[in-house]
Amino acid sequence: MVINWKEQMLTDKDAILACQSGNTEAFRHLVEKYKTRAYYSALLLTKNSEDALDLSQDAFFRAFRSLNRFDTSKNFYTWFYKILRNLCINHIHRREKIVQMVHDDDGADAFDRLEHEDKNPEEIFEENERSQMLWAGLNKLKETDREIILLKEFDDMSYQEIADALGIPVGSVMSRLFYARKRLLKEVESLNEL
Amino acid sequence: MNYNKLTCEDAQVLIMGLIDGELTSEQQESLKKHIDSCSSCREQYELFSKLKEETLNMKLKPLPEMYWDEYWTHVYNKIERRAGWIFISIGLILIVSFGFYEFVKDFLMNSTQPLILRAGVSVLGIGIIITGISVLREKLMVRKKDKYRSILR
Ligand SMILES: [Zn+2]
Repeated sequence: MVINWKEQMLTDKDAILACQSGNTEAFRHLVEKYKTRAYYSALLLTKNSEDALDLSQDAFFRAFRSLNRFDTSKNFYTWFYKILRNLCINHIHRREKIVQMVHDDDGADAFDRLEHEDKNPEEIFEENERSQMLWAGLNKLKETDREIILLKEFDDMSYQEIADALGIPVGSVMSRLFYARKRLLKEVESLNEL
Repeated sequence: MNYNKLTCEDAQVLIMGLIDGELTSEQQESLKKHIDSCSSCREQYELFSKLKEETLNMKLKPLPEMYWDEYWTHVYNKIERRAGWIFISIGLILIVSFGFYEFVKDFLMNSTQPLILRAGVSVLGIGIIITGISVLREKLMVRKKDKYRSILR
C-alpha cells in the first residue's frame, strides 16, 4: 500500500495501523500533522528552541518505536504528549542538576550562560510587554499550574483531552484550571506593582 | 452541584467552563443567572476573560521554515539509525561470541567437566557480551547528545 502523507483524508487511525504493519512513510503523515504542536509544547516546557526541536523529534522517534503498543481507539496526540512530556521533564531535571553542579563549582560564566538561556523570554515570544509579563507570571507558577494553562491556551486541548494527557478525571479539569488561573492573575498583579 | 443555587465558589469554577466553551446549556444558564445578580462574580468573569484573551494573544516566535522542512528527515534518521544499531549489535554479538567460543572451546568440549559448569560458562559469556555491547552503545549515544557535558569539564 502506498500512502501519500499529504493526503488529508488519511485518519490518524489508518496511519497508525499502516505504521504498525511496518510502513515508515505512514508515520510521516503523523509527524507532519503534529510537529508544530509538539515543537511548541516542548518549547514552552524547556524554554529553549534547540532543545525543543531535538526533544520533540526524539519523542516522535520513541512514539514510532512503541507504536505497536498503542491502542488505536485512543487519541494519538494525548498519548504522544505523555512521551514528549516525560522526555522534556527528564531533560529539565538533568539540566537543573548540571546548573546546580556548575554553581557549586563556582563556574560563574557557564552558570550565567545556562541561566540566561533558561529564562530568556525573547527567544519564545514576540516582543511585547504584556506577553513578557504573562510569561514571567506563568514561570512563577508551580509546574502543574503552568502545564494545565499551557495545554488549554497554547495546545488548545479540550477538557477531555487535558484529562487524558494528564491522567486526571475530566471532572477535575475545570477546578484545576480555576486555581491555576487564579494564581496566575495574582502573579501578574504582583509583577505589575513592581 | 445544584445549578439553581450556585455558591460564589461554584460559580467561579464554572466561569472557566464558560470562557473555554465547555459548559452544558443548563450550566451556562444558571451561571449567567448568578453573574447577573452577583457583582463580585461578574468582576471575576471579566478578569478571567481578559486573562484568557491576553494569553491567547501571546505570540510565539515562529521557527524558520528551514527547520520545518528538515523536521521529518531528522525523525526518519533517528528511526533508521536505530535499525542500523540493531544490525551492528547483532553483528558484534555474533563475532565476539565466536571469539569467546574459540577461546574456551577446549574447556567446553571437555566431557570430564560437568555439563552444568560448561553451560554456565557459555551463558555467562553471552550475557557479558550483550551487556558490554549495550553499555558501549549507550556511552556513544550519550556522548554525542549531551551538549552540556563540555561545561562540566
Ligand atoms: Zn457570586
